[in-house]
Amino acid sequence: MSLITSLLALRRDARLLKIPPYLSALCVLVGIGWLLVLPLQEYSRGTYVSENALLPGQVHTYFTGSEHNIFRAYRHEVAELVHQPLEGRNQRLAEILRSSGLKVATQNYEYSASGRTISGQNVYGILQGPRADATEAIVLIAAWRNMDGEINHSGVALVLTLARYFKRWSLWSKDIIFLIAGDSTAGPQAWVDAYHDSHSPASIEPLSIKSGALQGAVAIDYPAGPWGHRFDKLHIVYDGINGQLPNLDLFNTAVSIASGQMGIGCTLQRMWKHDDSYQARLQTMLRGMISQGLGHASGPHSSFIPYHVDAITLQTVGDGWHDEMSLGRTVESLFRSLNNLLEHLHQSFFFYLLMQANRFVSIGTYLPSAMLIAVNFTITSIALWVQSGRAPNPPSPVSTNTKPSEAPKMIAIDRDGMVALIPEQYLTIIERKLFLPLAFVGSAHFLGLLPLYIFNNTSESSLTLTFHATTFLTLLLPQLTASALSLSPYRPSAQETILIQCLSLLLLGMFLSALATLNFSLAFLVGILATPLTFVRPTSSRPIAGLQTLLLVAVNPLVVITLATSYWAGGDVSQLRTVLVAAAEGWHVWGLWTQVVVWLVWWPAWFAESVVVAGSLFGKVVEAKSVKA
Amino acid sequence: MAIDKQKAILFGAAAAVRLLLFTAFPSLPNLLTGRVEISTPVTSFKRLQEGLFLYTHNVSPYDGGVFHQAPLLLPLFSLLPNPSTQPFATNLLYTIVDLLGASALMQIAESGQSVSSRLFTSPRKALRWSNIAIGASFLFSPFTIATCIARPTSALANFFVLSSIAKATQGASITSILALAFASYLSFHPILLFPPLLLILYDAYAGSSKGPSNPLAFSLVHIGGLAAALGMLLYLSAILTGSWEFLAATYGVRLLLPDLTPNVGLWWYFFTEMFDSFREFFLGVFWLHILSYVGGLTIRLRQQPLFVVTSLLGIFAIFQPYPSIADSSLYLALVPLYRHVFPLMRYSFLASSTLLYASFLGPAFYYLWIYAGSGNANFFYAITLVWSLGLSVVVGDSLYAVLRDEWEVERPEMRGKEVRRI
Repeated sequence: MSLITSLLALRRDARLLKIPPYLSALCVLVGIGWLLVLPLQEYSRGTYVSENALLPGQVHTYFTGSEHNIFRAYRHEVAELVHQPLEGRNQRLAEILRSSGLKVATQNYEYSASGRTISGQNVYGILQGPRADATEAIVLIAAWRNMDGEINHSGVALVLTLARYFKRWSLWSKDIIFLIAGDSTAGPQAWVDAYHDSHSPASIEPLSIKSGALQGAVAIDYPAGPWGHRFDKLHIVYDGINGQLPNLDLFNTAVSIASGQMGIGCTLQRMWKHDDSYQARLQTMLRGMISQGLGHASGPHSSFIPYHVDAITLQTVGDGWHDEMSLGRTVESLFRSLNNLLEHLHQSFFFYLLMQANRFVSIGTYLPSAMLIAVNFTITSIALWVQSGRAPNPPSPVSTNTKPSEAPKMIAIDRDGMVALIPEQYLTIIERKLFLPLAFVGSAHFLGLLPLYIFNNTSESSLTLTFHATTFLTLLLPQLTASALSLSPYRPSAQETILIQCLSLLLLGMFLSALATLNFSLAFLVGILATPLTFVRPTSSRPIAGLQTLLLVAVNPLVVITLATSYWAGGDVSQLRTVLVAAAEGWHVWGLWTQVVVWLVWWPAWFAESVVVAGSLFGKVVEAKSVKA
Repeated sequence: MAIDKQKAILFGAAAAVRLLLFTAFPSLPNLLTGRVEISTPVTSFKRLQEGLFLYTHNVSPYDGGVFHQAPLLLPLFSLLPNPSTQPFATNLLYTIVDLLGASALMQIAESGQSVSSRLFTSPRKALRWSNIAIGASFLFSPFTIATCIARPTSALANFFVLSSIAKATQGASITSILALAFASYLSFHPILLFPPLLLILYDAYAGSSKGPSNPLAFSLVHIGGLAAALGMLLYLSAILTGSWEFLAATYGVRLLLPDLTPNVGLWWYFFTEMFDSFREFFLGVFWLHILSYVGGLTIRLRQQPLFVVTSLLGIFAIFQPYPSIADSSLYLALVPLYRHVFPLMRYSFLASSTLLYASFLGPAFYYLWIYAGSGNANFFYAITLVWSLGLSVVVGDSLYAVLRDEWEVERPEMRGKEVRRI
């Protein structure tokens, strides 16, 4: 009882308002620290296969001997096809698949993004499982060109060989679809869209033959030319569109078969040298997070994951002693495991961060870090809300101003036999004027639609120029808006300025915590980059306002994108164009929504805070000066 | 005159926003129609189309167990051109229904019932929002707009509820009772609003020059009127469909909850988990729970019957078997009438943040459950619990504020003092 009253009394304490910035900073620090301890042995876990039916590596593989000769023959066939036109090439591929006894069909597709046309043709054949009733299928993919644009000679040849080899077995209890996609991103997307009847019929051909529900997909990326190339390791690529991941069991099965049964080392996230040290684990995890956060397609498998089809790409890397037959046997064993599945992969994790081929952390362990980052915005927003309800000029308890005429009005409070004198301002809650802040924050979010539309519909040649122009404009816009607002009749008062910041941080915190459940990495990255927005405040001191403006310029979304691109491209500015084209392509082809987050969540928050700071930079928000107390 | 101009601008803007959304994003109506947050089995526009198809092909619309809506909607919608090819007429109908609802809401605001009823006048009555602001908060609420675009039939029921309240505040018995009959006919639970509405009507009569009539006779006449109106609607429905089977397919479904499609309410998850032998018992308990509020609130808040109606609408938005955000939008439209007690509310920031968070996390968790397959039903149910919690905080907090407002009339010396638990 007395605890409750003393807590209620504490609620009014002015010192309480000093805590939230520190609390926010603490949340951010703990959030980052949380992520940094994850690679430690104590906080990460070893991977394990949860689904008992998979039984990875328990079968003997027979893909050897004479199959090798067939593979080499097909590889030369493929090399012959390289210079042929698309139609002739696919006719020949279809012929080979048909001669293995499969049902074969082709599919044309055409997308247009940023003024370019992406077109091609997919060839695929369906092996009807002898023990299957055409209700379930697994997919083996080889794209004609891999993500780097190289021709996937050996990958395509291996798929053709495996098609012929698998056809002879009587043990398949699922249909197997062999897909030779025209390219690595648009082709598989067109195929999987059409498989689920969600394609746009104007530009993408429907599939003439289909099988049952897809249970899994494996893509092979092995670009060795007609004379072969022995590889060192398998690089397993698992990121899907928008940061969705395949079930961890599929990844674990692939690792377990490759390294356990075949003795091929596995690596991930382009970590060619992984010494299992803390640094290497952290680097793997961070690379995984960036890849997941960007949400782009990382291989032919990526398009399958949004349809809840677990998929990975096996990529060969390095110079070593493993040949195409080891890869073939790996795929054979992997398909035997998938063939065992009694139900869709569901046992293991869908949300995880991998830090090595056999170590991971699951969502329960890592989610708090992104949530803490998101919570820091909410805390500040609540504090600003409380602050906006206080009288505009709270006298400080140790005021040097002792003139009796300005002495604060005191109120005697009698509680539990004790009397306290409290300035009246502490007890009154002034009315909040919400209309202007609501309208401002709302229109800032709507304003984000404009660049979203522009960048998705500008042609490739003018994309970079548009980007730089937009960067320039957005850097200037807050100052313009602030001075326009201060001249207009709707000049924001000190309270309204606080409320603008409060509402915009509230929305940011809310969006990020919702996003953290969908795409952890994106929420974390945006959260970290938006952290300075928590700590900027309207101020009467121009140097501080200037510093805050500089800080805000540095964390402008467009500036961050430019800097990050040039950092990863090693100072090559022209890479920006590649990124922008990929983003537009992602929007039109893959259904990527990273740019929605950038333009409708991150940028509006940045804009609102910048206007708040710019208001004080120009010294236009006169009332704000008196707030400092 | 100036008011009329403002009203014209407001209505014009609201209609423009709706028609613009309908035409600029032609796929949006179908997308929203499929959202479980907006369309429930008993209000969904898709199911209405299904019923309409059966009806126009001379099959009983209730065959197949998909359609659970009132039969009289069928001839109305069969007059409109097919919405899949010529959606404009349907879109216009829903836009007009929203505007009429807003107009009724503005009449309620104009009557001033929320600040001073016959028996009680709030000391804070000067603190009010204008009718235009209240109308705008309804018309531009994202929930109302989403409801209008998704075209569930609860939009029509909302309109009838609002006009019934508006007519009651004006003392127009016949129209009010008729509108309530329509609302109850369409979505059943508004019939529970009858006691407080009767009080509003009685107060309107008692306050007018006609002088107070005998309360018993007054109630009997109105109960008779409501029964007659409802009986007529039901009889017309029976003639239209040729049998009385529609009763089981419409009100039976609302009462007994056979369709457990997820929604934002609390019933579906509870009843998916339920052993069949307990089902009847808990159905009874759940319905009794809703019913129990009617009597208690009506008696306790006898002096402010309009607030009883408001709180009951909030309670329906939380506890009815098939709630959707259409019900919440109706409740949240009436809350601004109580602007004068907002300073007394203690959790307004908490409640609005909770509702805001829930309305973003809800679709995200539904996506994880249904599309991504990486979540499960508990994710979505957890967030509907949070949503309901947010609404109940608004209901509870506004109830506290109104009671405190009443109390301060009796005990003026307690103004501005902290409450203390004793």
